[in-house]
Amino acid sequence: MSAATVRAVPEMPSGSLIRKIAWHWRHDDKRELWIGWWTLVIFYNLYGLLFFLIARTQPPPPPSLAPSEIVQWFDDRHYGLLYGYAFVSIVGGATAIMNATLAYTMRRMSVSRAFAYSYLVIYALATLPGMLIMGVACTVGAMRPDRDPELMSWLYDFAFLSFEGTMGVFLIGSLVWMVAVLLDENRVFPKWFGYLNLCNALTEVVVAPAWIFKRGVFAWDGAIAWWINMAVFVTYTTVFLTLLRKMIVREDFGSGPLPELESDHALEPAGALGAAR
Amino acid sequence: MTTVASAEPRAGGPDERAGAQERARGVRFVPGQPDMWVFVLFEALVFTSYFTVYVIRRTQSPDLFLQSQAHLDLRVGVFNTLVLLVSSWAVARCVQAAREGSFSAALNNAYLTMLFGFVFLVSKVLEWATEIEQGFGFTTDEFFSFYYFLTAIHFLHLLIGFVVLGVAVYEIRSPARRSQELVETCATYWHTIDFFWVLIFALLYVMR
Repeated sequence: MSAATVRAVPEMPSGSLIRKIAWHWRHDDKRELWIGWWTLVIFYNLYGLLFFLIARTQPPPPPSLAPSEIVQWFDDRHYGLLYGYAFVSIVGGATAIMNATLAYTMRRMSVSRAFAYSYLVIYALATLPGMLIMGVACTVGAMRPDRDPELMSWLYDFAFLSFEGTMGVFLIGSLVWMVAVLLDENRVFPKWFGYLNLCNALTEVVVAPAWIFKRGVFAWDGAIAWWINMAVFVTYTTVFLTLLRKMIVREDFGSGPLPELESDHALEPAGALGAAR
Repeated sequence: MTTVASAEPRAGGPDERAGAQERARGVRFVPGQPDMWVFVLFEALVFTSYFTVYVIRRTQSPDLFLQSQAHLDLRVGVFNTLVLLVSSWAVARCVQAAREGSFSAALNNAYLTMLFGFVFLVSKVLEWATEIEQGFGFTTDEFFSFYYFLTAIHFLHLLIGFVVLGVAVYEIRSPARRSQELVETCATYWHTIDFFWVLIFALLYVMR
């Protein structure tokens, strides 16, 4: 590269956060990746806020409710469902940026591009039943609470079965990511994250009985089908957000192995010594 | 964690060579990739949570669980357990043989592991068929829901185990590969699903 094409980058300013963000916006060559990462972080926080606190559709209610109880359920969270899912429909498009950021990690690996493409397609599909269809069904129920209770029951079942139906997508998505991580020679993610993907995939399988049971631990609100699954998913999501952040820091925009962080090198001798002890 | 006096590296990257050097010095080390132990520990947590839910539900309906449990054949459970324990023994011999450079013996033991794993799968399918024939299905009662759930999720782990053993065989077959670390990683997975079965056997067939 000639001297004429080298861009002079000023030092990152110390002091206010806004000035630092402005510096990153203008000069950080990883700007797009950081936008993707922050989109993921903000989206998952919003998802928790909207589904758990505003719409209050999570944790899911029992599938065994009688039609009159279902009408009451819609009535209890009337405004939460309307406002909550209106907001979900606005931010739902952010999943495109999130999926692209995650697919980027697979494009940076030494594996075939087919992994990233499969991941993109399968998670693009997951957005429909997992968020939008569920949101539309809940909104339709909340919008006219004077409907026939049998119709309200239909909407209730349709909404939650639609949400449960995404689990197969997460299963295959996790397996795609797992195989990519295990085959990768560029050390984009540690191998243990590949195995953690397998753990996540296996807990998606146990959601399948929710299609059969209306009561108990295997129903869609059950200890096994929902609570344990959600605990694993939250752990898995926290781990991949942390590893993704680290990956972006390490990114050198090359095609070979990602460089290790200096702090990781500094830890190595201590780790070996610890093992020896 | 294991202490091994000596082991020669066959192939592999710097991590594997470093691991082999540690073994040669008699240093304590984790068999196979340390990464696989993340899977082992995490899956142990997940299975522990399933077992906890099972025990809690059992204490809430002890009579129902005891009555339904009586329909299971303890001999089948014992046979399943013995078959898997023998398969674990075979995979341990496979690792030992690979460490000593006896790759033909290692390969035979890997195939033996697969054979016993296959016997387990067949006997489990036959047991399921018998139970269903007698009218005990997945939705019959809560005990049988747990029975089919726990045995099926273990069955799925075992099916993945065949892919894992396939990786071990692939490694052992060619002198150009033969990563001792990968063979030990595969064996770690197999021992783990064996360990889970022993717990499932105790909970479903033995616990009164």
